[in-house]
Amino acid sequence: MTSHVARTSLVADVKPVRRRGSGWHAYLFVGPSLFGVIAFLLLPMLIVLVLSLFDWELLSSPEFVGLDNYRRLAGDGQAWHSLGVTVAYVLLCIPLQTVLALALAMLLNQRIKGVRFYRSLFVVPWMATPIVLALIWSWIFDPREGAINSALALVGVTGPDWLSDPTWALPAVALVSIWQYTGYNMLFFLAGLQGIPKELHDAAETDGASPAQRFWRVTLPLLNPTMFFVSVTNLIGAFQVFDTVFAMTDGGPSHTTEVLNFRIYQTAFKEFDFGYAATLSTLLFLIIFLVTMAQVRFFGKRTTYDLS
Amino acid sequence: MSHNPPIRWALLGAALLALTSCGSGSGGGGSDQVTLTYRLWDDQQKAGYEKVMAAFEKANPGIHVTIELLPYDQYWTKLTADAVAGTAPDVFWMTPTQFPEYVTKGVLSPVQVDASKYHQTVVGSFTYENKLYGVPKDWGTVGLLYNKDLFKQAGVEMPDKLTWAKDGTGTLLDTARKLTVDEAGKHPGDAGFDPAKVKTYGFASWNHYQTQWMNWVSSNGGKLVDKPFGKYAFNDPASVEALQFGVDLVNKHHVAPPATQTNPPTGKITDMFKAGKIAMFPANNALLPFVAPEATFEMGVAAMPEGPQGRSVNLNGLAEAVYAKSKHPKEAMKLAEYLGTEEPQKLMADGGYVFPALNGLSKGYVDYWKAKKIDVTPFEQEASGSTFPLPVTTGFTGFETKLNQIFNEMYLGKLTPKAAADQAVAEGNATVK
Repeated sequence: MTSHVARTSLVADVKPVRRRGSGWHAYLFVGPSLFGVIAFLLLPMLIVLVLSLFDWELLSSPEFVGLDNYRRLAGDGQAWHSLGVTVAYVLLCIPLQTVLALALAMLLNQRIKGVRFYRSLFVVPWMATPIVLALIWSWIFDPREGAINSALALVGVTGPDWLSDPTWALPAVALVSIWQYTGYNMLFFLAGLQGIPKELHDAAETDGASPAQRFWRVTLPLLNPTMFFVSVTNLIGAFQVFDTVFAMTDGGPSHTTEVLNFRIYQTAFKEFDFGYAATLSTLLFLIIFLVTMAQVRFFGKRTTYDLS
Repeated sequence: MSHNPPIRWALLGAALLALTSCGSGSGGGGSDQVTLTYRLWDDQQKAGYEKVMAAFEKANPGIHVTIELLPYDQYWTKLTADAVAGTAPDVFWMTPTQFPEYVTKGVLSPVQVDASKYHQTVVGSFTYENKLYGVPKDWGTVGLLYNKDLFKQAGVEMPDKLTWAKDGTGTLLDTARKLTVDEAGKHPGDAGFDPAKVKTYGFASWNHYQTQWMNWVSSNGGKLVDKPFGKYAFNDPASVEALQFGVDLVNKHHVAPPATQTNPPTGKITDMFKAGKIAMFPANNALLPFVAPEATFEMGVAAMPEGPQGRSVNLNGLAEAVYAKSKHPKEAMKLAEYLGTEEPQKLMADGGYVFPALNGLSKGYVDYWKAKKIDVTPFEQEASGSTFPLPVTTGFTGFETKLNQIFNEMYLGKLTPKAAADQAVAEGNATVK
């Protein structure tokens, strides 16, 4: 409480110092980023939205078709199938990835020998290029000589043809993503955990809270801002998965790993159907936007508290 | 999951910006020097083209040529974006499968060369409405690379002529059986042969259109497309029989590795051949520079097997395409025409890069490989016989992924060749414009 008062007075002291006119400098600093956001994010998004109203085979001139592409989308089984695959992929990845990252962070938040080494170790997958990882994992998934099935064979189990089996292809691709991003998310949870004042745990312990109670009542609620950040960024990332699918399965077998982003790529750059690809992109954008808004509402209510 | 920004939309945005800002025509400055851009995707061949361009610049002092190398996967995306923006390179490589998209949209200029001097399959691949769009550059054809060490170990001689028939007779299957050995030393057909524990395979049969099933189809009298710029037709009885043969080599006769190991995009068939696990491997001669240096065994080349309707192999050629909206059309045409003449084509042949499209220059290529102890004359013989191009029709680029997916299932034995062919032909024809 005292620190709170002190901080307020400090702010009060600073306040009178030339506030007007300094806006210029601020714009100078955010300028480059602002330009980047407008030129490479907002403008292309707007262009995509406009493009979705056109029929454009890229090399011929665009033809305005109004909402035709959206009508086509309504009856396009392939697109809805791709959306279904995307949702399944998101549901496979996100819960596991988040829980694993949190568990890992709690483990690596302990005082154990070589903890720094382990922390770095788990972040390595995130630093590697997705395409390279996809290639390596394709070998690991090799039905006969791959590491997974060789290990399974040791205990007498015949593993499936991971990447060419319609049942296993999507989980296999999801596994690679989970493996790749768990360590990265672990970093955020680790930072979040270390931001929780030790006193709170001590106080809870003094009050007789069990370790489980301390986790549910203290750790988890205070990790809310981290959880918010991790789940929003991960969901957006998962909805936009492309590289692993592209390199590992090419959308197959029988379109079982054909996520929406891959379909968009196919439509645009292989079928040269840019207007319709823009329509699909708009659909993906809308879905991600809605899901993110839902997350903001869900977490938004719980992220403010006064730790002072 | 991808945390990359959606690069392609940014690219498209940039292309659009360039499109709107273009047309002000800033080209044609005061200097006499003209700079042309020449784009290709093969880094091995780039070394050869540096010499070619030096010779061209010497003969044409007013023209400078910049060579641009782009990896194959990016090559087409970039070329399309460039064509939209009006900034495509002046001269660039073109393949038969991409050709229809570009020519029907007016990206390519017709060229004036004496077509009779070039390999006719290559000429046919780049002809649209009776005009040639692109100077024939080279050709590659499918032959049988084989591991002489494995033949020696098995005590098998490569027959003078390989043949196949749908009933399983013919020297190909017979030879492949003798070369397929499981861990207990048994061959397919022996009592106790275990197809799950094969040590070396006699043959490589897999889902690859260029070097595999298209050749079986054509040598059985089947048709890939009814005519250039026409519809797909490989679901007729003759084609289906041929597809069945390719699949049977894997799933019935067990002389080729299972599709789980060979299906694209993750298949490792080339690695398996290089590692000495496969005795006979149909491949395009363009693969030689990539396979030969890594093979630890003595490699031979044989002609592809003859089918019931004789031998018919895929011959895939490239062309030097001229951009229709080049700022220097005269100079670009001059360069393309030069690339079709004897001097540069001979240089590329002598360097062992490619068989030149210009007739009568193969010897340089043959001599190059002879010095590396590989006799490539079977490729040359095949090319003078019955050859066919890849399907030249619009929409193939979009169809390719679907085709691969459907045929992956077929090679896995999950779809019958008839069902796979019907489905592929229907989906393919939906993409033809």
